[in-house]
Amino acid sequence: MTTRRTRAVVIPGILALAMVAAACGSDEGSSSDSSPAEAAEGSTPTGTEAAGEATAGAVDTVGFIYVGPKDDFGYNQAAYEGSVAMQESFPDLEVLQAENVPETAESEAVMQDMIDNGADLIFATSYGHLEFAENLAAENPDVVFVHQGGLEQGGLDNVGTYFGTVYEPVYTAGIAAGEASETGTLGYIYAFPIPQTLANINAFTLGAQSVNPDIETIAVSTGSWCDPALQAQAAQSLIDEGADVLTQHQDCTKTIVEAAEAAGVYSVGYHADASELAPNGWITGSEWDWAALYTDIVQTVVDGKFAESDYNGDFRVGLQTGDNPFIQSAFGSMVSDDAIALIEAAKESFIAGGSPFAGPVMKQDGSVAWADGEQPTYAEVETMDFFVKGVIGSTD
Amino acid sequence: MIEQVLTGAVAGGTSILFPVVGETFTQRSGVINLGTEGSMLAGALTAYVVGIETGSVWLGALAGAGAGALLALVHAFMVLTRGANQIASGLVITFLGIGLTALFGQNYVGQGVNAFASVPIPGLSDLPFFGPILFDHDPLTYLAILSGPIAWWVLYRTRFGLMVRAAGERPEVLVAYGMSATTIRYIATVIGGAMAGLGGAQLSTAFTRNWSEEMTVGRGFVAVSLVIFAAWNPMKAIIGAYLFSGAIALQLQLQARGTDISQYLLQAAPYLVVVVILAALSRRRAHESPESLSKVF
Amino acid sequence: MSAVTDADEALGTGPDPDAPTPMAQQPAGDGGRDVGRWMRGIGRWVVALGGALLIYSAFLLVRGADPIDALTAMWDSSFGDATGLGETLIRAAPLLLGALAVVVPARAGLFNIGGQGQMVFGAIGAFATSAFLDGALPQPITLVLMALGGALGGAAWAAIPAFLRLATGANEAITSLLLNYVAGLVLTWLVFEPWKDPASLGQAYSEELDARSRLPIMWGERVHAGILLAVVAAFAVWWLLRSTRWGFRLRVLGGNPEAAHRAGFRVSDLAVGAMLVGGALAGLAGMIEISGVEARLRPEMLAGYGYIAFLASCLARHDPLKVIGSSVALAAILVGGFGLKISAGLSGAAVNVLMALVLLAVLGFAQKKEVR
Repeated sequence: MTTRRTRAVVIPGILALAMVAAACGSDEGSSSDSSPAEAAEGSTPTGTEAAGEATAGAVDTVGFIYVGPKDDFGYNQAAYEGSVAMQESFPDLEVLQAENVPETAESEAVMQDMIDNGADLIFATSYGHLEFAENLAAENPDVVFVHQGGLEQGGLDNVGTYFGTVYEPVYTAGIAAGEASETGTLGYIYAFPIPQTLANINAFTLGAQSVNPDIETIAVSTGSWCDPALQAQAAQSLIDEGADVLTQHQDCTKTIVEAAEAAGVYSVGYHADASELAPNGWITGSEWDWAALYTDIVQTVVDGKFAESDYNGDFRVGLQTGDNPFIQSAFGSMVSDDAIALIEAAKESFIAGGSPFAGPVMKQDGSVAWADGEQPTYAEVETMDFFVKGVIGSTD
Repeated sequence: MIEQVLTGAVAGGTSILFPVVGETFTQRSGVINLGTEGSMLAGALTAYVVGIETGSVWLGALAGAGAGALLALVHAFMVLTRGANQIASGLVITFLGIGLTALFGQNYVGQGVNAFASVPIPGLSDLPFFGPILFDHDPLTYLAILSGPIAWWVLYRTRFGLMVRAAGERPEVLVAYGMSATTIRYIATVIGGAMAGLGGAQLSTAFTRNWSEEMTVGRGFVAVSLVIFAAWNPMKAIIGAYLFSGAIALQLQLQARGTDISQYLLQAAPYLVVVVILAALSRRRAHESPESLSKVF
Repeated sequence: MSAVTDADEALGTGPDPDAPTPMAQQPAGDGGRDVGRWMRGIGRWVVALGGALLIYSAFLLVRGADPIDALTAMWDSSFGDATGLGETLIRAAPLLLGALAVVVPARAGLFNIGGQGQMVFGAIGAFATSAFLDGALPQPITLVLMALGGALGGAAWAAIPAFLRLATGANEAITSLLLNYVAGLVLTWLVFEPWKDPASLGQAYSEELDARSRLPIMWGERVHAGILLAVVAAFAVWWLLRSTRWGFRLRVLGGNPEAAHRAGFRVSDLAVGAMLVGGALAGLAGMIEISGVEARLRPEMLAGYGYIAFLASCLARHDPLKVIGSSVALAAILVGGFGLKISAGLSGAAVNVLMALVLLAVLGFAQKKEVR
């Protein structure tokens, strides 16, 4: 806050002081009545012991930024709903929201505006927001920044990243898809070849190959996180090429599920439960439930224990740690008991420390990604830059 | 593969074809409306909302056309009555359309609409090759294809069409008939907006069955370009719209077949194709431009 | 590339007494002596902008938001404190350069709606220059060369539609509009493929500019020297158009192409020159954005700025000094959008509505109609 005050001195006195006061008022005034409600039920106890004295001052304002609209029926909506659920546990907490924040320096400006509005903790929920959050973290040691999905680079005390092992439910959905497919061809519509997406496509393919080694996944990119017309056309071209299960990594997900249903092929959802849209073809999907994790992160910061918690780093939750925020959607009626048994077995192996990418895994070009007995670390998965064998498509 | 690409071209091009044909009227009368993008969005959302609330997608399409027309009316007023810069006014209308639809569409994201279904035309849809390409679509697609010849007939065979062309070519002729070029331009601009709204309606309630913010992603701007590409001829508008959409279908089809061509180059292809063909054909185009429009640029 | 004022005549000769004048070209005649006219002028602005705010408030009320809260939040974000003011200036700088990129061709009666793509190529050119120099030269020289690289990149991208126009007659407005999309995809390709930062841990962006390639920070932590550059450019363009023979010829061409022909000007050279200068100015906008703000090439950088810059130029009636004001005004609305999102909890797109209403008010009502 000192930096802002010095800057305020520099500018000529034309700016109404009242405005400045209004802008920073929220975190100065009330410090006593910000005691949080009881910790949320079901949250993982990472640092939730009832805190006697908060060390870093009261936390009364939390900010969330989203890259897209917070009602996209997808990624951003899930994060938004997580923030709303989190707030139920902290009725006195002020939650600042900002949607459509691009992954440019504009995100830094928006987060700065949140800090000026008193934010003590900021959730930067999109992949490309990370660098800007780290920039601000260096300038604002009293503000905690948590980033969704990235890998932190700076090692600061007030920055961390968190994510779920998204590829686990995608892998198990692949098992169900591989079982259901009659043509042996699956279709994947994605936006950009970022590691998260490539890991998903690979996990889905490996899951399907675990029940049918010859299965192939056609991956088609739209170059956009949400362009429904392109999605519809991409869905059609995949169906033309023989795909009878469609899935996706897009921000808005409805069109592809509907297109699959209309064409009489199966669909696997992403981000949101769209089973109602596809009563005939819905196999399963993966969806987010951020409530518990968000609540626990806020609690940790409120308790003043962020710096020594697991969140101050690259925090990943999955089946092994429990409470993966990325969960399997309901199964459609065509999913056989055999498939469900296989899925359960796969989950058991992940709980026991296994990975969807446990070797041997071959790359598209035939070279070895992970040999028998090897498996990648979280960081390796999240920097993946290739397709596995059986994926038709190009990462460049 | 050709059949699949052409089928994809028709399915995906309809939402562009409507605005191209509509904007042809507008430009023929001497007005250019970059607000077509905004009108498409307004049409897309309004059709979706009305479709959900009334249960009738046809009412939705009608309302979508109305919403598109309303934004075009604002453009006409700005340009024709208030003398604003045409390009600027069009861009502003687009911003208005983006903003208003985002503001009022929030509650409808993720809601299902009882969308237009495919209506195969008996007999014709079974034809080899042509059947799937032309005769197995939603009703709005048939309407879009028909709108080309209808617009051509109206422009070249009716008194109204003559007046629209006169407004664009030689407004002084209209004076001799005691007509106002401004009135004709108002009507032509509103027709353009209504058809853009219809294109948006097809996008949301037939082709994608979805509403999301800024879902047109620039298709309205492309439509305005295609009018010039089609040399202000509504029959050629059909070629223009399906060529653009066909290039999209082709690039997706190539991706699905595992081509080695860079995906970024493939995604740029539809725009490059239009630019290249526009350049290749432009020598013949110059004299076909409506007289007063050529001076707008 | 034909002239704008002709369109006024063509569209303005209708029998309607309210005949339209679609193109607002010349700066409004100054009526400095007549106080009553000034008052009427100011009154018109107040009424127009007040009307826009009223309509906007009505929309907000329909959406269940408190308009006073929303507008206060916007004001706080854009001007409420030093950070906000700085943010407004940071955003105004590329808009100003982008608007100047419209001003110069407009003087010759041409429309440059390819500013978006030219800005992107300016950023690419500046980055390429920096990467080529690799920190070998002192900061001032590096920055000058980067500015040249950016200007060259923007001009090169503007040259494509200009060349197509000359070679084939293809309408430059349409080709440059379509090329905006292509430029975006070129940028995307660069940051995902050849220029991707190998140390990015998967993020799609280029390597970071070295310290010598960064514009100095003038104020606070983010307000960079590119803002000065933009203002200097505005005065330079003003001088160029007003006091040089080239500027005079552009004016003649824009005002009366026939006369320009008769006077023996090389009309196509003039027109292409104006477009290239426009492209170079837009390219500078890309340079200051990467050097002053972003530090890396990013897929979404500058998205939409070209179009807003075009409107900034129209708001100022293509006057090279008045665009300073219009750029700051539009930048303030954009930054005010942060407040709308954060404090008023409104959709991010709500700011588009306000911007559109203000622009409609100014373009349609506040600006005087053409005085012939």
